[in-house]
Amino acid sequence: MSTPAPAAARAAAAAPPQRRPRHQSRYLFLLPALVFLALFSLFPLVQLLRMSLSDVTASTLNSSWLFVGLENFQEGLASGQTGDALVRTAVFVLVVTVIGMVGGFAGAVALRTRGRWSNVLLAVMVFAWALPPVVNGSVWKFLLADAGLLNVVARAVGLTDTALPFLYDQHWALGAVAFVNSWAVIPFNALVFRAALLNIEPEVFEAAALDGAGRWQEVRHIMVPSVRPTMLVLLVLTIVYGFRSFDFIYVMTYGGPGTATNTLPFLGYLQAFSQFNFGLGASTSVVAVLVVLVLAVLYARSIRKEEKE
Amino acid sequence: MSHSAGPVNTIVKILLTLMYGVPLLWILLTSFKSSSDVFAADATFVFRPVVTSYVEALDGALVSALQQSVVIAVGTTALTLAIAIPAGYGLARTRGWAVSVGLGLLIVLQMLPQTANVIPLFQIFGSWGLLDSTLGVVIADSALLVPFATILLRPFFRAVPPQLEEAAAIDGASVLRSFFFVVLPVARNGVATTGTLVFLLAWGEFLYAVNFFLSPGTYPLSALLAQQVSAFGINWPGLMALAVLSSIPVLLVYALTYRLLRDGLTVGAVK
Amino acid sequence: MRNSAQNRRTRHAAVVGGAVATALLLAACSGGDPEPGTADGGSTADAAGGDGTVTVWHYFSAENQVQLMDDYAAKFEEAHDGVTVENVYVPYDQMNSKVISAAGQQTGPDVVVFNGAEWSTLALAGALAPMEEPWEGFADADQFPDSVIHGMDDHVYAVQGYVNLLGLWYNADILAEIGVEPPTSIDELEAAMAAAVDAGYQGITLSGLPQSQGEWQAYPWLTSQGFDYSDLDEQALTDGFAMARGWVEDGYLSQEATTWDQTVPFQEFTSGDVAFAANGNWQMGTAEAEADFEYGVVPLPVGESGKVYLGGEGQSIGAFSDDPDLAWQYLTETYYDPEGQLLAVDNVGSIPSRLDTSQEAEVTDNSLLEPFATTLAQNGANYPDPIIPPENVAKLQTAMGQAWSAALGGQRSPEDAAADVIAQIQALIG
Repeated sequence: MSTPAPAAARAAAAAPPQRRPRHQSRYLFLLPALVFLALFSLFPLVQLLRMSLSDVTASTLNSSWLFVGLENFQEGLASGQTGDALVRTAVFVLVVTVIGMVGGFAGAVALRTRGRWSNVLLAVMVFAWALPPVVNGSVWKFLLADAGLLNVVARAVGLTDTALPFLYDQHWALGAVAFVNSWAVIPFNALVFRAALLNIEPEVFEAAALDGAGRWQEVRHIMVPSVRPTMLVLLVLTIVYGFRSFDFIYVMTYGGPGTATNTLPFLGYLQAFSQFNFGLGASTSVVAVLVVLVLAVLYARSIRKEEKE
Repeated sequence: MSHSAGPVNTIVKILLTLMYGVPLLWILLTSFKSSSDVFAADATFVFRPVVTSYVEALDGALVSALQQSVVIAVGTTALTLAIAIPAGYGLARTRGWAVSVGLGLLIVLQMLPQTANVIPLFQIFGSWGLLDSTLGVVIADSALLVPFATILLRPFFRAVPPQLEEAAAIDGASVLRSFFFVVLPVARNGVATTGTLVFLLAWGEFLYAVNFFLSPGTYPLSALLAQQVSAFGINWPGLMALAVLSSIPVLLVYALTYRLLRDGLTVGAVK
Repeated sequence: MRNSAQNRRTRHAAVVGGAVATALLLAACSGGDPEPGTADGGSTADAAGGDGTVTVWHYFSAENQVQLMDDYAAKFEEAHDGVTVENVYVPYDQMNSKVISAAGQQTGPDVVVFNGAEWSTLALAGALAPMEEPWEGFADADQFPDSVIHGMDDHVYAVQGYVNLLGLWYNADILAEIGVEPPTSIDELEAAMAAAVDAGYQGITLSGLPQSQGEWQAYPWLTSQGFDYSDLDEQALTDGFAMARGWVEDGYLSQEATTWDQTVPFQEFTSGDVAFAANGNWQMGTAEAEADFEYGVVPLPVGESGKVYLGGEGQSIGAFSDDPDLAWQYLTETYYDPEGQLLAVDNVGSIPSRLDTSQEAEVTDNSLLEPFATTLAQNGANYPDPIIPPENVAKLQTAMGQAWSAALGGQRSPEDAAADVIAQIQALIG
């Protein structure tokens, strides 16, 4: 695993020193990533595609696979599982993205001032972000239980008489897991937004204050525009994060009650590692990849637009 | 920023403090409980603290798991940066279809559910002799994090004024030379920030570790943690004590790079 | 950066070096000490093919169950100089995939201790070594009932050293307070739960997790309403789901059960606010340690048609064990040995699978074990149902677990859940 950088260096050095467009030689910087990802990301993807078109079970995983065409996809669609999971994934991603982005931005605005409280809170948030999902998921499962803190508080303040069914009502459960996922992504988003806010020159605020701008106007006319370029990348990262989320569902609901929190990644996991139908699981994952492809095209197009401006 | 914090700000801060303070407090409290106190409603805050869980957690397995975690996290960070830095720079300085395709590809790779990668990677590693080795897990983790790191790094390199490089070129510096001596130093904060994030994510990654190490004796801390939840019992205090212990290094890294993380994450800022 | 990569590599090399040194040491120990194994069985330890280590994979984490594994290791090591038993913990959810993927790489443990019902998944993946040869040569083989011997096509793949099953745990203090006797029928159970709820307690806890654990817990209640995998009666299944959903609606059972595995509901029970718990004999240690109230067990009151799975862990020899003979010897001296089975009774409260051992005083005199033994005799059912083709066991368990969870949680109506899962089961059973 010698670092591939020297190879690129040699190639660059071998090129005629002058007269070569610099842009072109910079493509060589992409070479190590290209080779590495081709080997360890694209190749597995090809294998996944092959698997989704084959009949692969526990007994045939390690031998040759029987080609079955689109049978796995048909099975998934016919049983309704794939379609249901797609809808749930969409709802899940929507919740994670909205709460994650709004919460992150609100946090950034609130925490952009320096002070002991802000500093400690930021540290606590980053720390929570860095804890393994197994731990965070377990804690939240506990806090959201009938006898958990949230329900105790809700009852104490008279919000409800009976316990709120956070994790075991089909609609609440999906929302609750999505909320905990957004909880886990807010610290990162807040940090990124905050860095963008800190880049605003203080004079801008002073000028606004002279013009008699209120706080909301400040947020709307100064802060939101200034984080717009950041927002795009962050939006994609947050959507990605919600889309591939697996650990929290695994720990908190195991896809239940019933199948209410079976999103695409979890369904793929169940099919492959619990039912040992690797072909079917792979086909579910391929459906996920197709959705991703659409999003990626949208992202790349908006990046190009941004750069043309 | 001469404004005093408004009421809305204060409310948001109180909300966030509760949202993040309570779970962390709960982890800490539980780690000092005896298991019979965990489920007793009257012992939520008032209980007799015990350190049994810590004593039990602190054994030889923990030390070797810690060592393994450090090797994996450091290795992954080094490998990921070695690949993502040139890629991020390359994508920041080239234009046209290659950038779109490259970025789109990165997003696709980044978005793949990790569970989908486990099976094919397992087979590939098996035939290349990378299974059950630390190197295999480092490579898998890097494959997972290179797209993320590249996406994060690209804006930092875009923020480096091209005039600096043009000046260097006029002085006769090669592309490689100006990259190392002009661009990298300017973008060092971005590199350090990205490196920290990669380190933290690699530290917590467990799915690959659990699957690619064939025998649990060689697990890193994250995998050890993931194992505490079982069909026949969750040792809550044990899990939380282990969580606290395994997050001490995270705390250390955070303390060291706190300033960077706090102020340095200017993702996508095209300035 | 190159520097840190270098560091990592040297550190990695050091780790590997250390491991190699340890392995050599171990090899030297076992190699240089050619003690002929003189076990009670009379066979000789053949360490030639292996490293003198028996690696045992298991998924136990409860204290008493781990203790049993340690006791077994100590027992075997004591009888064989130079032999080490290494117990390796693998979480329940990862056990099967880990054993299967290791087998794909021609490696794996010497002995696997796993959910006996899932032997077919492992056997079909080629992860288990056929055991019929030593089994037929095993003098005590006739002590084991057929229901604990798993295999197909004339091969034996797993044998259980003990049986685990569900019973109805009750909180005697609560029952005394509300003035009811431990129930013997569903009607009595429902009346008792109603009284408990009126007195401010919870009725019952059980597992509604949408996976194999849910299926295992649902089976007694579903069969009590006449459901049977070999005669798929949609109405009976609907009744079963409706009964459990009714408990949720009447407040006897928390809908939270859909997030519970089998551990959490018992922890809820031992915390003292619940009248009943449908849970297993393996909880005896937990009950003793955690419950500060009087408790007891009666058979699940599932009537004549009701059936209770005879579960428990199967023990097998890994297909790629480096010393299958030593692994077999380990099994005969621990799980399949009268003394070893009594260790399981003491530590975990398991029901011995050997006919002779199950008659020992330790079993018959234990008032908590007795109801389980009664259930075993009167309502015991093979787990999984033999009508399910081996390759579809895992799929069927998931499907039924999800339906059970969906009905309990109100995601589907009992009718819809039943109709849905019957269609799936029909496809799986054929």
